[in-house]
Amino acid sequence: MAATTKKLAYYPGCSLHSTAKELDESFRASAAALSLELTEIPDWVCCGNTAAHATNRLLAAALPANELAKVTDMGLDTVAVPCAACFSRFMVSVSELEDEHMKDDIARVIGRVYGGGVGVDNLIDVYYNEVGVDQLKARTVRPLSGLKAVAYYGCLLTRPPKTTLAEDPEYPTHMDDLLRAMSATVLDWSYKTDCCGASLALCEQSVVVALTKKILRDATTVGADMVVCACPLCQANLDTRQDEIAAADSAFRKIPVLYLSQVVGVAIGLSPDKLGFRRHMVPVEPLLQRAGAAV
Amino acid sequence: MTAPSAALAKTVAVEAGTNANTCYQCKRCTAGCPVAEYADLHPAQIMRAVQLGDLQTIVGAKFIWLCTGCQTCTTRCPQGIDVAGVIDELRMISRREGLVPKDAPFADILRLNCDSISRWGRLYEIELIARYKMTKPATAMDDVLLGAKMFLKGKLSLTPTLGDRAQIKRMRREAERIEAEHRTSARIKAGE
Repeated sequence: MAATTKKLAYYPGCSLHSTAKELDESFRASAAALSLELTEIPDWVCCGNTAAHATNRLLAAALPANELAKVTDMGLDTVAVPCAACFSRFMVSVSELEDEHMKDDIARVIGRVYGGGVGVDNLIDVYYNEVGVDQLKARTVRPLSGLKAVAYYGCLLTRPPKTTLAEDPEYPTHMDDLLRAMSATVLDWSYKTDCCGASLALCEQSVVVALTKKILRDATTVGADMVVCACPLCQANLDTRQDEIAAADSAFRKIPVLYLSQVVGVAIGLSPDKLGFRRHMVPVEPLLQRAGAAV
Repeated sequence: MTAPSAALAKTVAVEAGTNANTCYQCKRCTAGCPVAEYADLHPAQIMRAVQLGDLQTIVGAKFIWLCTGCQTCTTRCPQGIDVAGVIDELRMISRREGLVPKDAPFADILRLNCDSISRWGRLYEIELIARYKMTKPATAMDDVLLGAKMFLKGKLSLTPTLGDRAQIKRMRREAERIEAEHRTSARIKAGE
C-alpha cells in the first residue's frame, strides 16, 4: 500500500541557503522519498537567530510569529524547521505568545493577530513524528550495519526544555532510535548535548576550536566512524575545523560529520550525489563505500 | 564598586521576566558553562553582580560577550532562573547605555547580523564577514583559507537571497518603537 502524502510547510532559514546547502538538499530529497510534501513559506524572513534575542526581545519573538501566521495562510498546521537555531527561536516565540501582553505587542509588530496552533518540527521530529521509527525501518534498503555512529544533539534542539518541550534534555534519544532503525550501531558518549561554540565561529576562533576538539575527540575515543547531527551550525563548525585541529595535534583523528537527513537518504537508497556529500570538508566517501553506497 | 542597589535586578526582572534575586550561588550554571574556563567571570558571578546592582563589574569583563547562548545554565538552575536570558538582557543594557567594551568582537557580530537581516530580510553571510573583518583589520587574514574552501564547495553565496524586505523593516521599526514606549512608561511608573 502506498503511504499517504503528508503536507508540511517548510522554513529553511538562512543557513540552508548557504553554509548548509547539503542539509537543504538531503532534507528535500529524503522528505520527497518518504511521502512528505514540503512547501516553502513564501518570502520568509530570517528567524532573528543569535542577534535579535541579544538586541530586541520583542522583535526576536515577532520574527518567527510572522512566519507561523503565514503557515496558517497556506492552510497547513505544521512547519518543518530543520535548522536547530531557527527551531529554538520558533519555540521561544511560541512560548512568548502565551503571555497576553506579549501577544498583543507581537500582533502590533507583525501587523496581524496570529491565533496559534501551528506545530513546529525540528529535523529529528520530522523523521521521528511525521515518518516514524517503524516506517523508517521498513523503508531502509541500505542497512547501515557495521557503521558506528554517535548522535550529536548540541544545544538548541533540547534546551531549555521549558520552550523546546524536549522530554530529556540531558540525555535525548530520538536520533539514536532513528539511527538504530537504520541498523547503525549507536555508541554512548559524553558530549551528546555539549556546546560546540558555533555562535562564536567568526570572532573567537581559539575557544571554538577548543570546544570542537573536545567533542570530536570523545567521538573517536569511543570508536565512532561518524558524528550524526541535526544542526547546520554544529555541522559547519565540526566539519570545517578539523584541518586546523589536526595541524596542531598529530594524535587527532578526523571523523566525518553528517546530517541526519543525509544518513536517512543513504539508508532509504537515495543516490549519494543527491545528498550534498561533495560539500563536506572531511571526506565522506570511505564511509559511503562501507555502507554500500559508493559514489 | 558602587553601593549595592536593587535597580539592576529589578530591570532584569521586568525585561527578561526572571528573578535573579533567588540565586543562592550553588554554581551549577558555572559547572556546566562551556566557556567559563576561557572567560574572566563565570555565570554565578554574573548573577551575584546583578543582585548587587554592580553593572560596572559586568561590563568591565568579557564574559557576557563570550556566552554562546547554549542554555545549559538556564536548563540546570535549581531555582528556575533563566540565566542565559539574564545574560541576553545584560547585553541589551550594555548596548543601550553605550557600555560595550572595546574588546568584545561578538558585540560587533551581533550588530552587523541585525543590520544584514534588516537590509536583506535574510542573513547575507559574505557581506557580514567582510564588514566584520573591516572592524578588525588585525584579524582580517584569519580563516581566509577556510572561507575560500567553503566558497569552492558552494557553501558561501556571492549574492544575497532576499526575504520580505518591506515587512522586516516595518517589524524592526515597530518593535523598537514599542520597546522604547514600554521603557518610558516603566520609568514614569517608577517615579523617575
